[in-house]
Amino acid sequence: MPMMTGEQYRASLLDGRKCYLDGELIKDPADHPLLKTSVDSVAGTYDRFYDPAPDAFHPMYTIPRSREDMDRRIEALGKSDITAGTTAACMALVEVAPELGKLRPEYRERIYEFFEWCKEKDVRCSEAITDAKGHRKKRPLQQDDPDAYVRVVDRQRDGIVIRGAKLHITGAPLVHEQVVLPTKSMKPGEEDYAVACSVPSNAEGLKIVNTTNAPRGGDDLRHFPISYRTNMPEGLLVFDDVFVPNERVFLDGEVSHAASLAHALGLWERSNAVAYSGSSADRLVGLAALLAEMNGAADRTDIRDLLSDLAIYATMCRAGWEAAMANATTNEDGTLSPASLYISASKFYNAELHGKMIDILHDIAGTLLVEAPTMADYDNEEIGPDIREHLAGDSGWSAQDRLKLLHYVRDLTADTYGGWIAVTESLAGGGQYAQRLVTLRHFDLNNAKDLARRAVGLEAQ
Amino acid sequence: MITGEAYVASLHDGRAVWLDGKKVPDVTTDPLLRKSIDWVASTYDRYAGAENPMFGIPRTQAELREQIELLLASDRTAATTAGVMALTSLGYDALDAYAATVRERDIRVAAAVDDTAKPVHVEAERDGGVVLSGGKHHVLGAAVVHELLVVAGDVACAVPLNAGGVRVIAHTPAPRADDDRHFPYSRSHTISEAIVVFDDVFVPAERVFRDAAAFPDTLTVWERARAVADQADRAELILGLAQTISEMNGIETVSHVRDKLSAIAVYSKMCRAGWESALANAQVNEGGMVLPDDSYLYATKAYGGHLYSEMTHYLHDVAGGAVITAPTIADLDNPEIGDYLRKYMRTMEGVSGEDRTRIFHIIRDLFADTYGGWDKVTNQVVGGGMHHQRMAALDSYDLGPVKARARAAAGIG
Repeated sequence: MPMMTGEQYRASLLDGRKCYLDGELIKDPADHPLLKTSVDSVAGTYDRFYDPAPDAFHPMYTIPRSREDMDRRIEALGKSDITAGTTAACMALVEVAPELGKLRPEYRERIYEFFEWCKEKDVRCSEAITDAKGHRKKRPLQQDDPDAYVRVVDRQRDGIVIRGAKLHITGAPLVHEQVVLPTKSMKPGEEDYAVACSVPSNAEGLKIVNTTNAPRGGDDLRHFPISYRTNMPEGLLVFDDVFVPNERVFLDGEVSHAASLAHALGLWERSNAVAYSGSSADRLVGLAALLAEMNGAADRTDIRDLLSDLAIYATMCRAGWEAAMANATTNEDGTLSPASLYISASKFYNAELHGKMIDILHDIAGTLLVEAPTMADYDNEEIGPDIREHLAGDSGWSAQDRLKLLHYVRDLTADTYGGWIAVTESLAGGGQYAQRLVTLRHFDLNNAKDLARRAVGLEAQ
Repeated sequence: MITGEAYVASLHDGRAVWLDGKKVPDVTTDPLLRKSIDWVASTYDRYAGAENPMFGIPRTQAELREQIELLLASDRTAATTAGVMALTSLGYDALDAYAATVRERDIRVAAAVDDTAKPVHVEAERDGGVVLSGGKHHVLGAAVVHELLVVAGDVACAVPLNAGGVRVIAHTPAPRADDDRHFPYSRSHTISEAIVVFDDVFVPAERVFRDAAAFPDTLTVWERARAVADQADRAELILGLAQTISEMNGIETVSHVRDKLSAIAVYSKMCRAGWESALANAQVNEGGMVLPDDSYLYATKAYGGHLYSEMTHYLHDVAGGAVITAPTIADLDNPEIGDYLRKYMRTMEGVSGEDRTRIFHIIRDLFADTYGGWDKVTNQVVGGGMHHQRMAALDSYDLGPVKARARAAAGIG
């Protein structure tokens, strides 16, 4: 089957899915004012990678087996919308296929069949991992509501029935398949909660309640130069006794492996974040340097100090990814994985200092950052000339260029989309504490202690 | 003293205001500016029939505390209007008459201090008055006050918003959602800002104040003080929200969560300590006005700004992703999905899904959305940004005694 075009993708969303936004049922996401641009961005990816050859597929379906594969994959995902990234992460299921196959051979077969089906149908998937969780310190069976974690409520001859909710599901109303995975490890007795499966977005009993970081209320989208084209909804999935056929069930009851799927996807999600962190940070350096030039402050000592802080940050972000790839490993099926130690350490570093780096941009930008006139103001016949006169400084920057730069930085760092970035930077792929734990787990502490013992003159152990 | 309703009516004065590229024919019916107007009107209503205490000048520490409490409980235009009153303590007779007018008419005044690329200047002198030309930016409340106190070099002028040649290019961080119930703070607490253009604006003699080079510092004294007092309140709110959402999530006793809560607690106490020290060391100016100590104000502002992002980062971390993904109130109202959302946003006995959702809304609104971005940036870069705030702290620090202490410690006399 050939790949989908953007138009075919738009049509594919009219499948009876029950999606809500701001309290209303959405008839057609492609025609909704707050979802339209998200749909356009996904459709744009489809068109950009469209190839009419019958066996063509998006590069995200290439399982990386070498550094070159990985570079191509990262480059392709960089030119794609977020749902390509979440789909690519879901394809990391194949990484754990051999392991699950040892539990039950059909799990391995189903994962590969699902992978091939997604590739052939050219569909998009979400990573439906985070449960409602109830009381965070209690196990699923200790909750006063047994549905706080998604669970199997019925097992039938040809499939299972699940109930519960998954939160923070990026792109949920715009993908075709919701890939449901346990959010954490499970213990004996919690078999009903050790469930992994894939559910079509239009499945009976599935409701998707959304929020979005798309700009609201403005009909002039130039005020939001990034978010009007890269926004994405986040869905809360409600599974009200949803039937899942056996061929889409990848884990059912094997508590020993509940966490390994989420870990595999988490590594890919974190890896994606780290892979782009260098170029994202480079962009911050560039924006800061332009703001400094715009304000005629590029040569000031205090500004150069700030720029050097940003430059060091960007360089370390890039170094983290390089180290993760230099120490990558392959599993028995040949799938390449970046080194967890460097990925988690870099992810932590990146998120921990992100706010400080944004502070620098704000400091250099000044108050105009959040009170600059809109481009519509600039176009207005009566006040446009005022803006051209009052915003053009003596640094050679025109008022129009200043406005473009200021709106870009505001949208990226100090508005709805900026808030979304700040929260997701630190929480996606596990929070900061999770990164600390993974880093410490993978760090060779014994070697470090031996070094210390030798340095101090103690006997090696 | 006039009522909120009378205040709203008073804005029909022919002022020339633009927002989002369109001229606003009536600021009171523009849905975004109306949010600012309603906030100002609520302050009017609180003091209708009695004189607003902001028109007084604090002459004791107790009155200073009352003044700050009042400003924190009022809309933002109260601080700039009180700034005009503060100017009378500088001993300018000409200002006394103007300030009396402001008080009698119960009007609101915005401070127009920061110049655009084309600074406001006296273009010509005529009939004892002056003609102003140029632009000011970062004029808080310009579209919704009655007058601007414009500082142009060593001349200051009181300019009504509807004066010929005044053009207000407004901006607002007010929420733009049709149903703004999930913006619990900003739906009722935003003040629009503006670039104000003065295109040959004539100011009559009685509204022109000469030798005004020292005006900006005193005109903005209450904004400066309010910002530091508000920073302490805000820090306590961050801690309160972090603790509350941790408890609602059931993680308040987890060690790494307690680490973060303790960091916010230290921050909160230090912000409060800085503000209390500014009050405890209050100064009296030559006109007998008691005002917070500048060295503590600057140091506390610099400290609070330096750690602010770290604190909001911790708040996001303990709260979780629902900060940006919690359903809206309209979702909760929808009979098809409302009960599901209450079920899955709930965490335990005593924590309803709706209450928890509302906590996420306030965290997002204040710390991860349009208003939060505006608030953070304006607080951080006011006074020239963090570097300048640090320099102000250094410059206002009395270095003599500390150098003497250093010399004594080194034994070099």
